[in-house]
Amino acid sequence: MMRLDPITAERLRRFRGISRGWWSAVILVALILLSLVAELFVNSRALVVHYEGEYYFPTYGAVIPGDTFGEAYQYETNYKLLAKRFAAENSDNWVVMPLIPFDPFEINVYDGEFAPHPPSIERGHYLGTDVAGRDVAARLIYGFRIAIWFSLALLVSTYVIGIVLGCLMGYRGGWFDLVIQRLIEIWSNVPFLYIIMIVASIVTPDFGMLVFLMVLFGWMGMTWYMRTATYKEVSRDYVMAAKALGASDWRIITQHILPNTISVIVTFIPFAVAGGITALTALDYLGFGLPPPTPSWGELLKQGTDRLDAPWVVTSVVSGLVLILVMVTFVGEAIREAFDPRRLTRYE
Amino acid sequence: MNKFVCWSLVCVALFGCSDGKEVTVTGFDPLNMTSADQVNWTPEKAQLRKQALTPYPALGLDALPTDLQWTTHSGAPYLGSPEATKGGTFYTNTTVYPLTLRTVGPDSNNSFRGYLLANQWSLTTLHPNTEQPMPQIATEWAVSDDQTTLFFKLNPEVTWSDGIPVTADDFVYTLEFMRSPAILAPWYNNYFTEQILEVKKYDDHTIAVVGHVPKPEIDLHTSLSIAPKPRHFHVLDEGWVQNTNWAIEPNTGPYQIDQKSIVDGKGDYLSFTRKTDWWGANDPKHQGRFNVDRIRVKVMRDPNLAFRAFLKGDLDTYPLVLPSFWHEKATGEEFDLGYIEKLVVYNDTQQPSTGMWMNQAFAPLGERPVRLGIQHALNYQKMIETVLRNDYERLPQHYTGYGDYSNTAIEPRPFDLDQAVAYFNEAGFKERGPDGIFMRDGQRLAFNVTYSQAVHTPRLVVLKEEAKKAGLELNLQLLDGQNAFKNVIEKNHQLAWMGWSTGFRPAYWEHYHSANADQPQTNNITNMKNPQLDSKIEAYRAATSAETRIALSHEIQTMLHEEAVFAPAYMVPYFRGAHWRWIRLPETPGSKDGGGIYDPFSASSGGLFWIDTERQQETREARSDKRAFDPVLTIDERFKR
Repeated sequence: MMRLDPITAERLRRFRGISRGWWSAVILVALILLSLVAELFVNSRALVVHYEGEYYFPTYGAVIPGDTFGEAYQYETNYKLLAKRFAAENSDNWVVMPLIPFDPFEINVYDGEFAPHPPSIERGHYLGTDVAGRDVAARLIYGFRIAIWFSLALLVSTYVIGIVLGCLMGYRGGWFDLVIQRLIEIWSNVPFLYIIMIVASIVTPDFGMLVFLMVLFGWMGMTWYMRTATYKEVSRDYVMAAKALGASDWRIITQHILPNTISVIVTFIPFAVAGGITALTALDYLGFGLPPPTPSWGELLKQGTDRLDAPWVVTSVVSGLVLILVMVTFVGEAIREAFDPRRLTRYE
Repeated sequence: MNKFVCWSLVCVALFGCSDGKEVTVTGFDPLNMTSADQVNWTPEKAQLRKQALTPYPALGLDALPTDLQWTTHSGAPYLGSPEATKGGTFYTNTTVYPLTLRTVGPDSNNSFRGYLLANQWSLTTLHPNTEQPMPQIATEWAVSDDQTTLFFKLNPEVTWSDGIPVTADDFVYTLEFMRSPAILAPWYNNYFTEQILEVKKYDDHTIAVVGHVPKPEIDLHTSLSIAPKPRHFHVLDEGWVQNTNWAIEPNTGPYQIDQKSIVDGKGDYLSFTRKTDWWGANDPKHQGRFNVDRIRVKVMRDPNLAFRAFLKGDLDTYPLVLPSFWHEKATGEEFDLGYIEKLVVYNDTQQPSTGMWMNQAFAPLGERPVRLGIQHALNYQKMIETVLRNDYERLPQHYTGYGDYSNTAIEPRPFDLDQAVAYFNEAGFKERGPDGIFMRDGQRLAFNVTYSQAVHTPRLVVLKEEAKKAGLELNLQLLDGQNAFKNVIEKNHQLAWMGWSTGFRPAYWEHYHSANADQPQTNNITNMKNPQLDSKIEAYRAATSAETRIALSHEIQTMLHEEAVFAPAYMVPYFRGAHWRWIRLPETPGSKDGGGIYDPFSASSGGLFWIDTERQQETREARSDKRAFDPVLTIDERFKR
């Protein structure tokens, strides 16, 4: 059982006390975790199929061809049509579909109408479809999953580099600090958006490559903060005391300095998350992000602004963006408040 | 030093006789002119320079072959409307501000160049409906016995926009100009060396343009009817490319770019002005054409914003070929109250070859069954029915709309899962993997599709989702235009989604001859290497009679269909757009070749509309008090196939 030290416990208590931030955090974490299993809620594959006395769970795993269920084709079963057939046959066979029975790639065609289709509860398109006839809700949810995990991956990578390098710069000081500072200054002047555009126009970047590129040009920010924070801590007496007692550098950094700079680290997390989401959305909007037909908020936003006559596309994605970013900001605000060093400090 | 002495002498000479009718331009030395002098060109400079040049030697009219059969305009009706009135300013838009006003050399291949080239007239043009030659700068022409050469008699009234008459020298000079390394234009250097052997001057108004290979008469016109270059204007020194970026080259067409608009436009627009003393103004051929006084071309990068500007009345016309524009955006008050009129005009012309191009050098695509499987796995029908709203039609084959040269017996292959699967099985792709995609010895049946236009993504998504059913995976790879083209032209693609623009006649050698396979920078992007096909293509190129060419053309197209390297997608055999009701069009708004409807310039079919200023006033008043006119939708099916 992990025990929290009293100050961290106090900070957490204070964080929970700021209800706006706390509930935003709860909802966000829930959404992030739920997005991992989005296939169970938003999918064109059925949750359960009961056919000729046997149960099938198509959600995860290999494609089940249509002829398994007595359909006349070998490609992936169309479960929505299968459900209709079973209902019409009035047999023991049945299909349970997810809440939103569409996957983000599926093109829906309705006779005599052209995409984008407006929202319709009857058809299950709660937010309508986009210009290719794909369900907006499905694309929004899978787009969220990609955006938030992209952002988290970015966060972790930039933090690892930023914290390690920043701590070392602050702790070692001297020529090491000077050289790295100059390197960062030079590197910061590389016009990173252009680099991404150039790369994206030569090769189609995938998820990993996009994270890599963003990290490559985005790790510098955290380094500055950590360097300053470490400098401040290194000059304090407790660090001198630890050194005098013969503690190793590693121990001093991890056991003494890092815990005291935690407020810097934590405070920036929500803003980094928000930054990551907006960066991916912006790149996708400009067409330099993930390749189509990857579900993406930026791509939806682009479609929406091109087609203001289909307002459900743009309203859905803008509401989604605003909601998530507002929640992230609430969390950030609450964290900043809870970790405010003027209220609680530990200089021992 | 030498130059300085020379210059002083000229100064003295000029000042010495300034009391007479001699013209002088301070700081301009016609004998030692450089390309820097081409900027701020004036009629005075032109006259001095012209006098300073020694004419090219002439062969004399006696040197002409004696048995020439001179012909001229076939008598097909002219296109201009007798009701047309002159005047007004026409507002149109382009997507980018040009990087240069040169029409050759670096950065010149931009969308604005079309406007400039349209005013650089050629010897002859083809009538857009009959495809027979029409006089432009030449009044008469004749074909040599060996079908390699065209002889032309020039219209002596033709002048450059700086007032200097156009003579045989300007045509002889065209070759010198286009072959010069100073213009940094390898394509033109090559074309004017490979296609045109020489230009002969018989006298000031009689020339011959000699080609390399014998061709039928019409084909000779398309390759040998060149446009003159103003010899007195150009100096091909080292600085030519830099110095002439913003120089206005004298031209022969009805309009010239407005020098003032380069400065005043500040990168937002450029204007053209109709010449008041144009040589062709009184020619019956041009009656009712080139009617507007000024044309302002505004730069508008975003098509949606441009459309907004059109709705406001800041642009006079707007093309609406894209289904989303035509069906959703082109609706509302301006249309319902009849302020803006809609127009659909069918044509019967060469269709761009849009579709999926397969690179045979990429392993499984070299196998014919795989290619046939892909052909049947592409659901173009669904694409047309959904995303394209049934507005487009299925394209039967690469060479559609080339008149007699098209083999109309060729039918496009339908989307058919059974056939697709059967072909894939035949190629050894028998087992489906866990994701439903076919496998062969661990290799998935998956290909990258290179394309460059984001607006095509919804179209390709339909193909991708439908192809999954046939066990085929298509991975969409959107690259920016330049890189997509580079990827394809260097044969690094697997499947390429693109369309070739059209030529007047089918170009088999460029696209399908083995001489162009397996090497970068050629148009044989399918890496076609078929000895039988090669021999047919060579025979086609060598044939001088139209009948033989047509027969060979049909055979080649059948063979290409059998090879199945190109999966043809769709064509758009019409133009559609909208214009404010003060824009008036002739009774026949379009032509068979589809060009010209809202085009202010095109020498063969443009400049037909005119601006009715009374209606303009009336519409503006009606608009402010919401008075309605009848909504107008014109559908012209005269040239519908």
